[in-house]
Amino acid sequence: MAGSVLQTANRGLWRSVWDRFRVPAWVSYVLLAAAVGVNASLQPYFFTLYNIQSNLNTFVPLVAAAVGQTLIILGGGIDLSLGAIITLVDVVVVTLMEGSIERVPLALAAGLLVGGLCGLANGVLAAYVRLQPIVATFATSFIWSGLALWIMPRPGGSVPRAFYRGYRDVFLGIPVAAWIILGIIVLWLILKRHRVTRYILAVGGDERAAYATGVPVAKAKVASYVLGGLFAALAGIGIVANTASGDPYVGGPITLTSITAVVIGGTRLSGGAGGAGGSIAGAMILSLVGNIVFFANVGSYYQELINGAIVVAALALAGIPSLRRRSL
Amino acid sequence: MPYLTMSGVRKRFGGVVALDGASFAAERGEVHALLGANGSGKSTLSKVLTGVVAPDEGRIEIDGQEVRIRGPQDTRKYRIAAVYQELSLIPQLTGMENILLAYEPANSLGFIDRKGLERAVLEVAARFEQALGRRIDLHRPVETLSPGDQQLIEAYKALARQPEILILDEATASLRQAEVEALFQVVRELRDKGALIIFISHRFQEVFALCDRATVLRNGQTVGTVDLAGVTEKDLVDMMVGRGAVSEVREAPTPPRDDVVLRVRGLCGPRLQGVSFELRAGEVLGLGGLQGQGQSELLRVLFGAEQASAGEIEVAGRRVVFRHPRDAVRHGLALVPGNRAREGLMLGRPILENLTIASMHRRRRGPGFLSARREKEAADGAVRSLGIKIGHLSGPASTLSGGNQQKIVVGKWLLNKPRIILMDDPTKGVDVGAKAELYRFIRELTQEGVSVILNSSENMELLGLSHRVLVMYEGAIADVLEGDDLNENRLVAAAMRVGRPA
Repeated sequence: MAGSVLQTANRGLWRSVWDRFRVPAWVSYVLLAAAVGVNASLQPYFFTLYNIQSNLNTFVPLVAAAVGQTLIILGGGIDLSLGAIITLVDVVVVTLMEGSIERVPLALAAGLLVGGLCGLANGVLAAYVRLQPIVATFATSFIWSGLALWIMPRPGGSVPRAFYRGYRDVFLGIPVAAWIILGIIVLWLILKRHRVTRYILAVGGDERAAYATGVPVAKAKVASYVLGGLFAALAGIGIVANTASGDPYVGGPITLTSITAVVIGGTRLSGGAGGAGGSIAGAMILSLVGNIVFFANVGSYYQELINGAIVVAALALAGIPSLRRRSL
Repeated sequence: MPYLTMSGVRKRFGGVVALDGASFAAERGEVHALLGANGSGKSTLSKVLTGVVAPDEGRIEIDGQEVRIRGPQDTRKYRIAAVYQELSLIPQLTGMENILLAYEPANSLGFIDRKGLERAVLEVAARFEQALGRRIDLHRPVETLSPGDQQLIEAYKALARQPEILILDEATASLRQAEVEALFQVVRELRDKGALIIFISHRFQEVFALCDRATVLRNGQTVGTVDLAGVTEKDLVDMMVGRGAVSEVREAPTPPRDDVVLRVRGLCGPRLQGVSFELRAGEVLGLGGLQGQGQSELLRVLFGAEQASAGEIEVAGRRVVFRHPRDAVRHGLALVPGNRAREGLMLGRPILENLTIASMHRRRRGPGFLSARREKEAADGAVRSLGIKIGHLSGPASTLSGGNQQKIVVGKWLLNKPRIILMDDPTKGVDVGAKAELYRFIRELTQEGVSVILNSSENMELLGLSHRVLVMYEGAIADVLEGDDLNENRLVAAAMRVGRPA
């Protein structure tokens, strides 16, 4: 009986639960501070340049992926193929480089193109073919993974030394990885001033109102997936630079971690509200938690469990105030 | 040659004809009212003009040129803007971001010229602020503003698009008197500059205060256009209802018994302002008036799906507070919702489950177990007594016609033996045959002493079935019709508050 009465009573129970999935900004910052604090206490050399640098090197891919995922989620979508896109870009870039520094520009351009095209395909399926984003991108994730395995069946390949050394270098006293993260933040700030981001937010906020207002709804959705794909390509390139080799499985876990970063960064899961700033903080939190797990010697298998616990805790914190207000 | 001409506009939504060859013509420099009773097609016609609804047929000419409006994005070219009753604002964006959404001044690369945007918005806002005497914070997400301020932002938004044709569709619904005045002042300025304003409102007072001419629609067709200086409210009602319309001969319903089964006093809540009435056993109480005057909200509050902020409800003489529909069900209430697909049925599940789900607890065996045989017997009984045409009980509910689906929604509650059935526009999108059966069924129920509160957007349905009709207006009961007053002219006049201060 409950099912039917609940249906009768509520115009969209699912929708309202979904809507409440938004973490307030302060929760993200408290979590980030806590993660830094715990890290520093466990790792005696946490604040040394070398350590910060090696930390940042591993952070870049997730930061880029989280920003990409943010744009898609802001537009009311979700991309479960993001990790697979990262993998595909990773193997394409490594394969095209052939260990030669001259071929780096070509490889990077191809990587970005692949990311953009994957995003375009996802966007067209979600916006024009009108498949559920969650289903469409889940399906395409197998295509991207399959392509990656076809291009590079086993981990390997050769990355020119200058490329990965450059990535691990220091420029003007600041690690290159930090410059890259800074660059990603600047990219987001530039995007924020662009019409397309406004339209993505409008579509994620209320698709029907956006349509009635004359916002090009389908184009905005496609743009969000293409931008997401391009940021995924950046993530893939970051992985190539950090690992100095190709791996046809490398991106897989990043999909869910990127969504987690978006959620704990305060972006509403149903779209329309939030931003990449929080997601970058979220990505850092998750990376730092990875460190904590490593240094606390509890085994890397606990990483997933702890990530999950963080998401549940953050969402629960976000939900408490509205639970009381809930009138069914 | 009128500035705007629409002719032969047809639109069907499924089986329902919304526009049946409607036409409309208006000049620059006038405020033109578009009037009609519920379901006459006035909102649909205005949405054809804004590209939100694509007509099946029809011709639109602006300034002597035929135009094709394929979607809202085309309205920019023809300088058409609308203020909708259901707001078209993006809740999470600020007023500043909403007002010129999709019209942002931007450079060739698509970056928004923020200074230019701010200037344009403030210019529009200034025109209102003068008339309004106060300022709305344009830097807050609009969802944090009051409904009135949101409505005003919606008006800013339409104005900022510098329309040559401006549609106001119930744009004053949540505005206070002073705000309405301010809006009218801005609208008149726009008219004096040569724009055409199309005004849709259920408040006759405002229509006469603002408009020059009016076009009346009835059943999706245009009845005529009149100069408002030469007509009275009564004339307009006659046009809306149809001159000399005689109510169909009603089958005299069985008179209700004397015992009061439901008493409501001073009920306030979402869109309700002090509703009081009594319902007797075996009575069909109609809820009439224009759509969206609080009828559905009243039913939802009575059913415990929404909470009242004040007031009392008594069922069979005992004071009750329903915090959840479960409580209402326990007290013998049932709700047949207007939106079957969303609120009344699990379309993908078998007919059997849809029929039995509301009453399973009555047939429970032990700790939550059910007997498949008894469930099937119960469902079979409902199918027989309601005359539902089904293939097999195990087929999904989505395979049934609209009328049979609605019978399933009714049937599932009947298995619970309710004493009061709340019906929210139960025949919406239901074919004629199924309607007749549902009417017969309502009469049978009332003969057994079951009471029905029937909200309907179809006047003839209300008049044909009800013992009394409560006419609602802006969340309150404006009139109670019974006996000889149960005719369409009285109903429409009461709904439009003719001859009364609004």
